[in-house]
Amino acid sequence: MTDSLCWLLAIAVTLVFFFPLYWAVSTSLRNPADTFTVTGIGIPFINFTPTLDNFRTELSTPEGFRALRTSLFVSISATLLALGLGMPAAYALARFRFWSNADITVWFLSQRVLPPVATLIPFYIVFRNIGLLDTPWALILINTTFVLPFVVVIMRQTFLDLPVELEESAMVDGASYFGAFLRIALPLAAPAAAATAMIIFAFTWNEFLFSSSLGITQTKMMPAHMAGAVDTRGIQFWFMATRALIAMVPPVLLALLAQRYIVRGLTLGAVKG
Amino acid sequence: MRWTSSIRNLFLMPAVVWVLVFTIFPLGYSLYAAFHTVTSETVVNRMEVPRLDKEGNPVLRSDGTPRMKTEVVRETVTNWEFVGLGNFARLFTDKVLHEAIKVTAIFVGVGLAVQMTLGLALALLFNRNMPGRSLLRTIMILPIFATPVAAGYLFFTIFYEEGGPLGWTGIPWLSSPHWALVSVIIVDIWQWTPFCFLVFLAALQGIPDELMEAAKLDTNSSWSTFRNIVLPLMMPTIVIVLLLRFAEAMKVFDIVASLTVGGPGNATQSLSYLAFRTGLRFFDVGYASAIAYTLLALVMVVVTILFKRIRTIYA
Repeated sequence: MTDSLCWLLAIAVTLVFFFPLYWAVSTSLRNPADTFTVTGIGIPFINFTPTLDNFRTELSTPEGFRALRTSLFVSISATLLALGLGMPAAYALARFRFWSNADITVWFLSQRVLPPVATLIPFYIVFRNIGLLDTPWALILINTTFVLPFVVVIMRQTFLDLPVELEESAMVDGASYFGAFLRIALPLAAPAAAATAMIIFAFTWNEFLFSSSLGITQTKMMPAHMAGAVDTRGIQFWFMATRALIAMVPPVLLALLAQRYIVRGLTLGAVKG
Repeated sequence: MRWTSSIRNLFLMPAVVWVLVFTIFPLGYSLYAAFHTVTSETVVNRMEVPRLDKEGNPVLRSDGTPRMKTEVVRETVTNWEFVGLGNFARLFTDKVLHEAIKVTAIFVGVGLAVQMTLGLALALLFNRNMPGRSLLRTIMILPIFATPVAAGYLFFTIFYEEGGPLGWTGIPWLSSPHWALVSVIIVDIWQWTPFCFLVFLAALQGIPDELMEAAKLDTNSSWSTFRNIVLPLMMPTIVIVLLLRFAEAMKVFDIVASLTVGGPGNATQSLSYLAFRTGLRFFDVGYASAIAYTLLALVMVVVTILFKRIRTIYA
Protein backbone atom coordinates (compact mmCIF):
# COMPACT_ATOMS: atom_id res chain seq x y z
CA MET A 1 0.00 0.00 0.00
CA THR A 2 2.60 2.54 1.04
CA ASP A 3 4.76 1.30 -1.83
CA SER A 4 2.19 2.12 -4.50
CA LEU A 5 1.49 5.45 -2.80
CA CYS A 6 5.21 6.25 -2.94
CA TRP A 7 5.24 5.22 -6.56
CA LEU A 8 2.41 7.59 -7.42
CA LEU A 9 4.09 10.37 -5.48
CA ALA A 10 7.36 9.75 -7.35
CA ILE A 11 5.52 9.96 -10.67
CA ALA A 12 3.78 13.17 -9.62
CA VAL A 13 7.05 14.83 -8.57
CA THR A 14 8.75 13.75 -11.79
CA LEU A 15 5.92 15.27 -13.80
CA VAL A 16 6.24 18.58 -11.93
CA PHE A 17 9.96 18.73 -12.69
CA PHE A 18 9.34 17.75 -16.29
CA PHE A 19 6.59 20.31 -16.85
CA PRO A 20 8.80 23.32 -17.83
CA LEU A 21 10.55 21.24 -20.50
CA TYR A 22 7.21 19.96 -21.74
CA TRP A 23 5.93 23.55 -21.82
CA ALA A 24 8.92 24.62 -23.93
CA VAL A 25 8.15 21.92 -26.48
CA SER A 26 4.47 22.79 -26.48
CA THR A 27 5.06 26.55 -26.89
CA SER A 28 7.64 26.06 -29.63
CA LEU A 29 5.17 24.03 -31.69
CA ARG A 30 2.44 26.69 -31.65
CA ASN A 31 1.65 29.42 -34.08
CA PRO A 32 2.85 32.72 -32.58
CA ALA A 33 -0.78 33.88 -32.47
CA ASP A 34 -1.77 30.84 -30.41
CA THR A 35 0.91 31.29 -27.76
CA PHE A 36 -1.41 32.36 -24.98
CA THR A 37 -4.77 31.31 -26.33
CA VAL A 38 -4.24 27.57 -26.22
CA THR A 39 -6.63 25.86 -23.84
CA GLY A 40 -5.99 23.01 -21.44
CA ILE A 41 -2.35 22.20 -20.78
CA GLY A 42 -1.36 22.72 -24.38
CA ILE A 43 -1.15 19.16 -25.65
CA PRO A 44 -0.20 19.16 -29.35
CA PHE A 45 -2.90 17.75 -31.68
CA ILE A 46 -5.48 17.84 -28.89
CA ASN A 47 -5.44 21.49 -27.80
CA PHE A 48 -3.90 22.96 -30.96
CA THR A 49 -2.46 22.05 -34.34
CA PRO A 50 1.31 21.86 -34.02
CA THR A 51 3.61 23.50 -36.55
CA LEU A 52 7.35 23.45 -37.05
CA ASP A 53 7.36 27.02 -38.38
CA ASN A 54 9.20 28.45 -35.36
CA PHE A 55 12.05 26.01 -35.81
CA ARG A 56 12.15 26.67 -39.54
CA THR A 57 12.29 30.44 -39.04
CA GLU A 58 14.83 30.15 -36.27
CA LEU A 59 17.25 27.90 -38.11
CA SER A 60 16.96 29.78 -41.38
CA THR A 61 18.19 33.08 -39.95
CA PRO A 62 21.93 33.60 -40.40
CA GLU A 63 22.19 34.75 -36.77
CA GLY A 64 20.66 31.57 -35.41
CA PHE A 65 22.86 29.42 -37.58
CA ARG A 66 25.97 31.40 -36.70
CA ALA A 67 25.23 31.20 -32.97
CA LEU A 68 24.94 27.44 -33.25
CA ARG A 69 28.23 27.24 -35.14
CA THR A 70 30.06 29.52 -32.69
CA SER A 71 28.72 27.53 -29.75
CA LEU A 72 29.94 24.30 -31.29
CA PHE A 73 33.37 25.68 -32.19
CA VAL A 74 34.01 27.27 -28.80
CA SER A 75 32.71 24.29 -26.82
CA ILE A 76 34.63 21.67 -28.78
CA SER A 77 37.88 23.67 -28.74
CA ALA A 78 37.68 24.42 -25.03
CA THR A 79 36.85 20.79 -24.28
CA LEU A 80 39.84 19.47 -26.25
CA LEU A 81 42.19 22.07 -24.80
CA ALA A 82 41.05 21.34 -21.24
CA LEU A 83 41.46 17.59 -21.77
CA GLY A 84 44.92 18.11 -23.28
CA LEU A 85 46.08 20.18 -20.34
CA GLY A 86 44.12 18.45 -17.61
CA MET A 87 44.67 14.76 -18.27
CA PRO A 88 48.48 14.81 -17.97
CA ALA A 89 48.11 16.88 -14.81
CA ALA A 90 45.54 14.43 -13.45
CA TYR A 91 47.86 11.55 -14.27
CA ALA A 92 50.76 13.29 -12.53
CA LEU A 93 48.63 13.86 -9.42
CA ALA A 94 47.48 10.23 -9.42
CA ARG A 95 50.88 8.61 -9.93
CA PHE A 96 53.82 10.85 -9.15
CA ARG A 97 54.59 12.18 -5.72
CA PHE A 98 54.68 15.93 -5.23
CA TRP A 99 55.15 17.88 -2.04
CA SER A 100 51.44 17.47 -1.41
CA ASN A 101 49.21 15.97 -4.06
CA ALA A 102 46.07 16.68 -2.05
CA ASP A 103 46.86 20.37 -1.71
CA ILE A 104 47.59 20.75 -5.41
CA THR A 105 44.31 19.00 -6.27
CA VAL A 106 42.38 21.24 -3.90
CA TRP A 107 44.13 24.25 -5.42
CA PHE A 108 42.79 23.26 -8.85
CA LEU A 109 39.37 22.80 -7.30
CA SER A 110 39.36 26.13 -5.58
CA GLN A 111 38.82 27.75 -8.96
CA ARG A 112 35.29 26.39 -9.10
CA VAL A 113 34.62 28.40 -5.96
CA LEU A 114 35.95 31.62 -7.44
CA PRO A 115 33.11 33.91 -8.59
CA PRO A 116 33.77 34.39 -12.32
CA VAL A 117 32.59 37.98 -12.18
CA ALA A 118 35.79 38.81 -10.26
CA THR A 119 37.79 37.99 -13.39
CA LEU A 120 35.33 39.37 -15.92
CA ILE A 121 36.53 42.96 -16.02
CA PRO A 122 40.26 42.20 -16.27
CA PHE A 123 39.55 39.72 -19.08
CA TYR A 124 37.39 42.32 -20.81
CA ILE A 125 40.05 45.03 -20.62
CA VAL A 126 42.98 42.79 -21.54
CA PHE A 127 41.18 41.11 -24.44
CA ARG A 128 40.06 44.52 -25.70
CA ASN A 129 43.61 45.82 -25.58
CA ILE A 130 45.09 42.87 -27.47
CA GLY A 131 42.24 42.78 -29.97
CA LEU A 132 40.71 39.46 -28.93
CA LEU A 133 37.40 40.93 -27.81
CA ASP A 134 34.49 39.50 -29.78
CA THR A 135 36.54 36.59 -31.11
CA PRO A 136 35.99 32.91 -30.31
CA TRP A 137 39.57 32.70 -28.99
CA ALA A 138 38.78 34.79 -25.93
CA LEU A 139 35.86 32.52 -25.06
CA ILE A 140 37.91 29.38 -25.66
CA LEU A 141 40.73 30.52 -23.37
CA ILE A 142 38.37 31.49 -20.55
CA ASN A 143 36.15 28.42 -20.75
CA THR A 144 39.18 26.14 -20.79
CA THR A 145 40.25 27.72 -17.51
CA PHE A 146 36.90 27.23 -15.83
CA VAL A 147 36.42 23.58 -16.85
CA LEU A 148 40.01 22.51 -16.22
CA PRO A 149 39.35 21.64 -12.55
CA PHE A 150 36.68 19.11 -13.62
CA VAL A 151 39.18 17.32 -15.83
CA VAL A 152 41.91 17.28 -13.20
CA VAL A 153 39.70 16.02 -10.41
CA ILE A 154 37.60 13.45 -12.28
CA MET A 155 40.51 12.03 -14.25
CA ARG A 156 42.79 11.90 -11.21
CA GLN A 157 40.26 9.67 -9.49
CA THR A 158 39.97 7.55 -12.62
CA PHE A 159 43.74 7.05 -12.88
CA LEU A 160 43.91 6.25 -9.17
CA ASP A 161 41.38 3.46 -9.74
CA LEU A 162 43.56 1.87 -12.45
CA PRO A 163 46.10 -0.75 -11.32
CA VAL A 164 49.55 0.86 -11.38
CA GLU A 165 51.16 -2.54 -12.10
CA LEU A 166 50.16 -2.40 -15.76
CA GLU A 167 52.09 0.80 -16.34
CA GLU A 168 55.01 -0.38 -14.25
CA SER A 169 55.39 -3.62 -16.18
CA ALA A 170 55.24 -1.68 -19.44
CA MET A 171 58.06 0.49 -18.15
CA VAL A 172 60.08 -2.56 -17.17
CA ASP A 173 59.68 -3.57 -20.82
CA GLY A 174 61.20 -0.27 -21.83
CA ALA A 175 58.30 2.16 -22.11
CA SER A 176 58.90 5.73 -21.03
CA TYR A 177 56.66 7.58 -18.58
CA PHE A 178 54.92 9.21 -21.52
CA GLY A 179 54.60 5.86 -23.26
CA ALA A 180 53.00 4.29 -20.20
CA PHE A 181 50.61 7.22 -19.90
CA LEU A 182 49.67 7.33 -23.58
CA ARG A 183 49.56 3.64 -24.38
CA ILE A 184 48.47 2.00 -21.12
CA ALA A 185 46.68 4.45 -18.82
CA LEU A 186 44.91 6.62 -21.37
CA PRO A 187 43.12 3.84 -23.30
CA LEU A 188 41.92 2.33 -20.01
CA ALA A 189 40.65 5.72 -18.88
CA ALA A 190 38.96 6.46 -22.20
CA PRO A 191 35.35 5.93 -21.04
CA ALA A 192 35.82 8.33 -18.14
CA ALA A 193 37.59 10.80 -20.42
CA ALA A 194 34.68 10.68 -22.85
CA ALA A 195 32.20 11.29 -20.04
CA THR A 196 34.33 14.16 -18.73
CA ALA A 197 34.43 15.62 -22.22
CA MET A 198 30.63 15.55 -22.39
CA ILE A 199 30.25 17.21 -19.01
CA ILE A 200 32.71 20.03 -19.71
CA PHE A 201 31.28 20.50 -23.21
CA ALA A 202 27.89 21.05 -21.57
CA PHE A 203 29.38 23.54 -19.11
CA THR A 204 31.06 25.54 -21.85
CA TRP A 205 27.93 25.44 -23.96
CA ASN A 206 25.83 26.75 -21.07
CA GLU A 207 28.22 29.48 -19.94
CA PHE A 208 26.60 32.90 -20.17
CA LEU A 209 28.44 35.60 -18.20
CA PHE A 210 31.52 35.67 -20.43
CA SER A 211 29.82 34.71 -23.66
CA SER A 212 27.39 37.60 -23.31
CA SER A 213 30.06 40.11 -22.24
CA LEU A 214 32.93 39.17 -24.54
CA GLY A 215 31.10 37.81 -27.58
CA ILE A 216 29.19 40.91 -28.47
CA THR A 217 28.27 40.82 -32.13
CA GLN A 218 30.37 38.44 -34.21
CA THR A 219 30.72 35.59 -31.75
CA LYS A 220 27.39 35.22 -30.02
CA MET A 221 26.96 31.75 -28.58
CA MET A 222 23.51 30.21 -28.18
CA PRO A 223 22.81 31.63 -24.68
CA ALA A 224 23.74 35.16 -25.79
CA HIS A 225 21.75 34.72 -28.98
CA MET A 226 18.75 33.77 -26.91
CA ALA A 227 18.86 37.08 -25.10
CA GLY A 228 18.11 38.57 -28.52
CA ALA A 229 14.58 37.12 -28.50
CA VAL A 230 13.78 40.09 -26.30
CA ASP A 231 13.82 42.88 -28.84
CA THR A 232 12.13 46.17 -29.51
CA ARG A 233 8.92 44.49 -30.60
CA GLY A 234 8.52 43.05 -27.13
CA ILE A 235 9.26 39.56 -25.98
CA GLN A 236 8.70 36.94 -28.63
CA PHE A 237 7.68 34.01 -26.50
CA TRP A 238 7.52 31.54 -29.34
CA PHE A 239 11.13 32.20 -30.39
CA MET A 240 12.19 32.25 -26.79
CA ALA A 241 10.81 28.76 -26.24
CA THR A 242 12.24 27.54 -29.54
CA ARG A 243 15.68 28.96 -28.87
CA ALA A 244 15.62 27.70 -25.29
CA LEU A 245 14.94 24.21 -26.63
CA ILE A 246 17.63 24.39 -29.30
CA ALA A 247 20.09 25.61 -26.67
CA MET A 248 19.14 22.99 -24.10
CA VAL A 249 19.04 19.88 -26.23
CA PRO A 250 22.80 19.32 -26.82
CA PRO A 251 23.96 19.64 -23.20
CA VAL A 252 21.01 17.65 -21.86
CA LEU A 253 21.55 14.82 -24.35
CA LEU A 254 25.27 14.67 -23.61
CA ALA A 255 24.55 14.62 -19.90
CA LEU A 256 22.25 11.65 -20.39
CA LEU A 257 25.02 9.82 -22.24
CA ALA A 258 27.41 10.55 -19.40
CA GLN A 259 24.86 9.70 -16.72
CA ARG A 260 27.09 7.23 -14.93
CA TYR A 261 29.69 9.93 -14.32
CA ILE A 262 27.45 12.87 -13.46
CA VAL A 263 27.57 12.35 -9.71
CA ARG A 264 31.33 11.98 -9.63
CA GLY A 265 31.73 14.84 -12.08
CA LEU A 266 29.48 17.38 -10.47
CA THR A 267 30.66 16.67 -6.96
CA LEU A 268 34.22 17.08 -8.27
CA GLY A 269 35.08 13.51 -7.42
CA ALA A 270 33.96 13.79 -3.80
CA VAL A 271 31.08 11.33 -4.18
CA LYS A 272 31.74 8.22 -6.26
CA GLY A 273 28.21 7.57 -7.46
CA MET B 1 59.41 2.45 -10.42
CA ARG B 2 60.48 5.90 -9.47
CA TRP B 3 57.29 7.92 -9.31
CA THR B 4 59.37 10.91 -8.24
CA SER B 5 61.15 11.44 -11.56
CA SER B 6 61.35 15.08 -12.53
CA ILE B 7 59.36 14.21 -15.64
CA ARG B 8 56.34 14.63 -13.36
CA ASN B 9 56.68 18.39 -13.81
CA LEU B 10 56.23 18.07 -17.57
CA PHE B 11 52.89 16.41 -16.87
CA LEU B 12 51.69 18.84 -14.25
CA MET B 13 53.18 22.21 -15.08
CA PRO B 14 51.25 23.17 -18.24
CA ALA B 15 47.98 23.01 -16.32
CA VAL B 16 49.44 24.85 -13.32
CA VAL B 17 50.87 27.62 -15.48
CA TRP B 18 47.60 27.91 -17.36
CA VAL B 19 45.62 28.36 -14.16
CA LEU B 20 48.14 30.85 -12.78
CA VAL B 21 47.96 32.94 -15.95
CA PHE B 22 44.20 32.84 -16.29
CA THR B 23 43.07 33.20 -12.69
CA ILE B 24 45.80 34.66 -10.52
CA PHE B 25 46.60 37.38 -13.04
CA PRO B 26 43.00 38.60 -13.49
CA LEU B 27 42.48 38.49 -9.74
CA GLY B 28 45.59 40.59 -9.20
CA TYR B 29 44.47 42.99 -11.91
CA SER B 30 41.03 43.29 -10.25
CA LEU B 31 42.60 44.00 -6.90
CA TYR B 32 44.77 46.70 -8.48
CA ALA B 33 41.70 48.16 -10.19
CA ALA B 34 39.80 48.16 -6.90
CA PHE B 35 42.22 50.78 -5.58
CA HIS B 36 41.68 53.05 -8.56
CA THR B 37 39.00 55.05 -10.23
CA VAL B 38 39.19 54.02 -13.83
CA THR B 39 37.77 56.28 -16.46
CA SER B 40 37.85 55.67 -20.16
CA GLU B 41 37.45 58.41 -22.68
CA THR B 42 37.65 58.47 -26.41
CA VAL B 43 40.09 61.06 -27.60
CA VAL B 44 39.56 62.27 -31.15
CA ASN B 45 42.67 63.60 -32.81
CA ARG B 46 42.53 65.37 -36.16
CA MET B 47 45.77 65.34 -38.05
CA GLU B 48 46.81 66.95 -41.30
CA VAL B 49 48.69 64.37 -43.30
CA PRO B 50 49.97 64.48 -46.88
CA ARG B 51 47.83 62.74 -49.44
CA LEU B 52 49.63 59.76 -50.98
CA ASP B 53 49.26 58.21 -54.40
CA LYS B 54 49.35 54.48 -55.13
CA GLU B 55 53.13 54.23 -54.97
CA GLY B 56 53.17 55.99 -51.63
CA ASN B 57 54.55 59.25 -52.96
CA PRO B 58 52.98 62.49 -51.77
CA VAL B 59 50.57 64.03 -54.24
CA LEU B 60 51.85 67.49 -55.11
CA ARG B 61 49.90 70.58 -55.93
CA SER B 62 50.86 72.59 -58.99
CA ASP B 63 52.96 74.87 -56.83
CA GLY B 64 54.99 71.91 -55.54
CA THR B 65 53.57 71.75 -52.02
CA PRO B 66 52.01 68.41 -50.96
CA ARG B 67 48.23 68.09 -50.93
CA MET B 68 46.99 67.58 -47.39
CA LYS B 69 44.04 65.70 -45.97
CA THR B 70 42.55 65.45 -42.48
CA GLU B 71 42.73 62.10 -40.76
CA VAL B 72 40.65 61.36 -37.70
CA VAL B 73 42.27 59.09 -35.15
CA ARG B 74 40.12 57.79 -32.33
CA GLU B 75 41.88 56.48 -29.31
CA THR B 76 40.46 55.07 -26.12
CA VAL B 77 42.45 56.45 -23.25
CA THR B 78 42.06 54.79 -19.89
CA ASN B 79 42.93 56.90 -16.89
CA TRP B 80 43.83 55.24 -13.64
CA GLU B 81 43.51 57.46 -10.63
CA PHE B 82 44.68 56.00 -7.35
CA VAL B 83 41.99 56.39 -4.72
CA GLY B 84 43.32 54.11 -2.00
CA LEU B 85 40.50 52.50 -0.07
CA GLY B 86 37.95 54.86 -1.61
CA ASN B 87 36.10 52.15 -3.50
CA PHE B 88 35.98 49.95 -0.44
CA ALA B 89 34.68 52.84 1.66
CA ARG B 90 31.82 53.27 -0.82
CA LEU B 91 30.79 49.66 -0.10
CA PHE B 92 29.64 50.67 3.36
CA THR B 93 27.31 53.43 2.28
CA ASP B 94 25.94 52.04 -0.98
CA LYS B 95 22.29 51.09 -0.44
CA VAL B 96 22.07 49.33 -3.82
CA LEU B 97 24.94 47.08 -2.80
CA HIS B 98 23.36 46.31 0.55
CA GLU B 99 20.18 45.31 -1.21
CA ALA B 100 22.17 43.06 -3.55
CA ILE B 101 23.80 41.38 -0.55
CA LYS B 102 20.37 40.84 0.99
CA VAL B 103 18.98 39.44 -2.27
CA THR B 104 21.95 37.08 -2.66
CA ALA B 105 21.66 35.95 0.97
CA ILE B 106 17.93 35.20 0.65
CA PHE B 107 18.47 33.48 -2.69
CA VAL B 108 21.22 31.28 -1.28
CA GLY B 109 19.60 30.66 2.11
CA VAL B 110 16.08 29.82 0.97
CA GLY B 111 17.17 28.13 -2.25
CA LEU B 112 19.67 25.83 -0.58
CA ALA B 113 17.37 24.96 2.31
CA VAL B 114 14.63 23.85 -0.09
CA GLN B 115 17.00 22.08 -2.48
CA MET B 116 18.72 20.11 0.28
CA THR B 117 15.56 18.99 2.11
CA LEU B 118 13.59 18.31 -1.03
CA GLY B 119 16.57 16.53 -2.62
CA LEU B 120 16.98 14.32 0.44
CA ALA B 121 13.24 13.58 0.67
CA LEU B 122 13.13 12.64 -3.02
CA ALA B 123 16.21 10.46 -2.68
CA LEU B 124 14.50 8.57 0.17
CA LEU B 125 11.33 8.32 -1.92
CA PHE B 126 13.16 6.91 -4.95
CA ASN B 127 15.34 4.56 -2.89
CA ARG B 128 12.99 1.60 -3.17
CA ASN B 129 11.92 -0.82 -5.82
CA MET B 130 9.27 0.63 -8.06
CA PRO B 131 8.31 0.05 -11.67
CA GLY B 132 10.08 2.34 -14.13
CA ARG B 133 12.38 3.77 -11.48
CA SER B 134 15.36 4.34 -13.76
CA LEU B 135 13.16 6.10 -16.31
CA LEU B 136 11.75 8.42 -13.64
CA ARG B 137 15.27 9.06 -12.35
CA THR B 138 16.48 9.91 -15.84
CA ILE B 139 13.63 12.38 -16.37
CA MET B 140 14.33 13.89 -12.95
CA ILE B 141 17.92 14.75 -13.79
CA LEU B 142 17.17 16.49 -17.10
CA PRO B 143 17.07 20.01 -15.55
CA ILE B 144 20.64 19.79 -14.22
CA PHE B 145 22.26 20.37 -17.59
CA ALA B 146 19.59 22.62 -19.06
CA THR B 147 21.23 25.90 -20.10
CA PRO B 148 20.53 28.23 -17.13
CA VAL B 149 19.79 31.25 -19.33
CA ALA B 150 17.41 29.14 -21.36
CA ALA B 151 15.77 28.01 -18.12
CA GLY B 152 15.34 31.65 -17.13
CA TYR B 153 13.67 32.55 -20.42
CA LEU B 154 11.59 29.41 -20.30
CA PHE B 155 10.26 30.28 -16.87
CA PHE B 156 9.61 33.78 -18.12
CA THR B 157 7.00 32.28 -20.42
CA ILE B 158 5.70 30.11 -17.58
CA PHE B 159 5.47 32.95 -15.05
CA TYR B 160 3.87 35.26 -17.62
CA GLU B 161 0.94 36.71 -15.77
CA GLU B 162 -1.55 37.05 -18.60
CA GLY B 163 -2.17 33.68 -20.15
CA GLY B 164 0.88 31.82 -18.86
CA PRO B 165 0.29 28.33 -17.45
CA LEU B 166 0.51 29.72 -13.91
CA GLY B 167 -1.62 32.77 -14.69
CA TRP B 168 -4.68 31.22 -13.00
CA THR B 169 -2.98 31.55 -9.60
CA GLY B 170 -3.30 35.33 -9.82
CA ILE B 171 0.16 35.65 -8.29
CA PRO B 172 2.20 38.63 -9.63
CA TRP B 173 5.16 36.31 -10.32
CA LEU B 174 7.43 38.83 -11.96
CA SER B 175 5.84 42.22 -11.32
CA SER B 176 5.92 42.23 -7.53
CA PRO B 177 9.36 42.66 -5.95
CA HIS B 178 8.79 39.90 -3.39
CA TRP B 179 7.33 37.39 -5.81
CA ALA B 180 10.03 38.13 -8.39
CA LEU B 181 12.67 36.96 -5.94
CA VAL B 182 10.56 33.91 -5.16
CA SER B 183 10.35 33.20 -8.90
CA VAL B 184 14.13 33.42 -9.31
CA ILE B 185 14.54 31.02 -6.38
CA ILE B 186 11.97 28.62 -7.90
CA VAL B 187 14.00 28.39 -11.12
CA ASP B 188 17.13 27.58 -9.13
CA ILE B 189 15.20 24.99 -7.12
CA TRP B 190 13.91 23.44 -10.34
CA GLN B 191 17.40 23.21 -11.76
CA TRP B 192 19.38 22.08 -8.72
CA THR B 193 17.06 19.96 -6.58
CA PRO B 194 17.60 17.17 -9.12
CA PHE B 195 21.36 17.45 -8.53
CA CYS B 196 20.97 17.13 -4.75
CA PHE B 197 18.53 14.27 -5.31
CA LEU B 198 20.91 12.43 -7.64
CA VAL B 199 23.91 12.70 -5.33
CA PHE B 200 21.91 11.78 -2.22
CA LEU B 201 20.40 8.81 -4.02
CA ALA B 202 23.90 7.62 -4.95
CA ALA B 203 24.97 7.99 -1.32
CA LEU B 204 21.88 6.14 -0.06
CA GLN B 205 22.55 3.27 -2.40
CA GLY B 206 26.08 3.11 -1.08
CA ILE B 207 24.83 2.20 2.39
CA PRO B 208 25.30 -1.55 2.84
CA ASP B 209 22.06 -3.55 2.92
CA GLU B 210 23.17 -5.52 5.99
CA LEU B 211 23.35 -2.31 7.97
CA MET B 212 19.78 -1.43 7.06
CA GLU B 213 18.60 -4.99 7.82
CA ALA B 214 20.27 -4.89 11.22
CA ALA B 215 18.72 -1.52 11.96
CA LYS B 216 15.27 -2.85 11.07
CA LEU B 217 15.71 -5.68 13.58
CA ASP B 218 16.56 -3.16 16.28
CA THR B 219 13.73 -0.76 15.81
CA ASN B 220 10.48 -0.55 13.96
CA SER B 221 10.56 3.18 13.59
CA SER B 222 11.83 4.21 10.19
CA TRP B 223 12.39 7.72 11.55
CA SER B 224 14.81 6.40 14.16
CA THR B 225 16.62 4.33 11.50
CA PHE B 226 16.93 7.45 9.38
CA ARG B 227 18.00 9.62 12.30
CA ASN B 228 20.56 7.25 13.78
CA ILE B 229 21.91 5.26 10.82
CA VAL B 230 21.18 6.93 7.50
CA LEU B 231 21.74 10.56 8.37
CA PRO B 232 25.14 10.12 10.07
CA LEU B 233 26.35 7.99 7.14
CA MET B 234 25.20 10.60 4.68
CA MET B 235 26.64 13.56 6.55
CA PRO B 236 29.91 13.81 4.55
CA THR B 237 27.92 13.81 1.30
CA ILE B 238 25.49 16.39 2.63
CA VAL B 239 28.36 18.69 3.61
CA ILE B 240 29.95 18.39 0.16
CA VAL B 241 26.70 19.06 -1.67
CA LEU B 242 25.98 22.01 0.59
CA LEU B 243 29.41 23.46 -0.07
CA LEU B 244 29.25 23.02 -3.84
CA ARG B 245 25.76 24.44 -4.01
CA PHE B 246 26.78 27.35 -1.82
CA ALA B 247 29.72 28.24 -4.05
CA GLU B 248 27.58 27.98 -7.18
CA ALA B 249 24.54 29.78 -5.79
CA MET B 250 26.62 32.73 -4.60
CA LYS B 251 27.61 33.34 -8.24
CA VAL B 252 24.01 33.50 -9.48
CA PHE B 253 23.88 35.57 -12.64
CA ASP B 254 22.25 33.75 -15.54
CA ILE B 255 18.76 33.34 -14.09
CA VAL B 256 18.66 36.94 -12.91
CA ALA B 257 19.86 38.22 -16.28
CA SER B 258 17.27 36.26 -18.21
CA LEU B 259 14.23 36.09 -15.94
CA THR B 260 14.05 39.47 -14.23
CA VAL B 261 17.03 41.60 -15.37
CA GLY B 262 17.50 42.35 -11.68
CA GLY B 263 14.09 43.95 -11.31
CA PRO B 264 11.52 45.07 -10.57
CA GLY B 265 13.65 47.93 -9.26
CA ASN B 266 16.63 46.16 -7.72
CA ALA B 267 14.51 43.47 -6.08
CA THR B 268 16.35 40.53 -7.68
CA GLN B 269 19.75 42.07 -8.34
CA SER B 270 22.37 39.61 -7.12
CA LEU B 271 25.95 40.56 -6.27
CA SER B 272 27.29 39.06 -9.49
CA TYR B 273 24.72 40.92 -11.53
CA LEU B 274 25.46 44.19 -9.74
CA ALA B 275 29.22 43.78 -10.27
CA PHE B 276 28.62 42.99 -13.94
CA ARG B 277 26.39 46.03 -14.45
CA THR B 278 28.68 48.37 -12.54
CA GLY B 279 31.70 47.24 -14.54
CA LEU B 280 30.43 46.67 -18.05
CA ARG B 281 27.32 48.83 -18.23
CA PHE B 282 28.32 51.85 -16.15
CA PHE B 283 32.07 51.29 -16.71
CA ASP B 284 32.85 52.01 -13.08
CA VAL B 285 35.63 49.44 -13.22
CA GLY B 286 37.27 50.22 -9.89
CA TYR B 287 34.09 50.01 -7.86
CA ALA B 288 32.91 46.91 -9.76
CA SER B 289 36.16 45.22 -8.76
CA ALA B 290 35.58 46.16 -5.14
CA ILE B 291 32.09 44.59 -5.34
CA ALA B 292 33.49 41.46 -6.93
CA TYR B 293 36.05 41.21 -4.14
CA THR B 294 33.26 41.55 -1.58
CA LEU B 295 31.55 38.57 -3.18
CA LEU B 296 34.82 36.65 -3.25
CA ALA B 297 35.39 37.42 0.44
CA LEU B 298 31.90 36.26 1.41
CA VAL B 299 32.42 32.96 -0.44
CA MET B 300 35.88 32.44 1.01
CA VAL B 301 34.71 32.91 4.61
CA VAL B 302 32.37 29.94 4.35
CA VAL B 303 34.64 27.81 2.19
CA THR B 304 37.63 28.27 4.48
CA ILE B 305 35.58 27.07 7.43
CA LEU B 306 34.86 23.84 5.55
CA PHE B 307 38.26 23.62 3.90
CA LYS B 308 39.82 21.02 6.22
CA ARG B 309 36.90 18.73 5.53
CA ILE B 310 37.31 19.04 1.75
CA ARG B 311 41.01 18.40 1.86
CA THR B 312 40.65 15.01 3.56
CA ILE B 313 38.63 13.77 0.57
CA TYR B 314 41.56 14.20 -1.80
CA ALA B 315 44.29 13.01 0.55
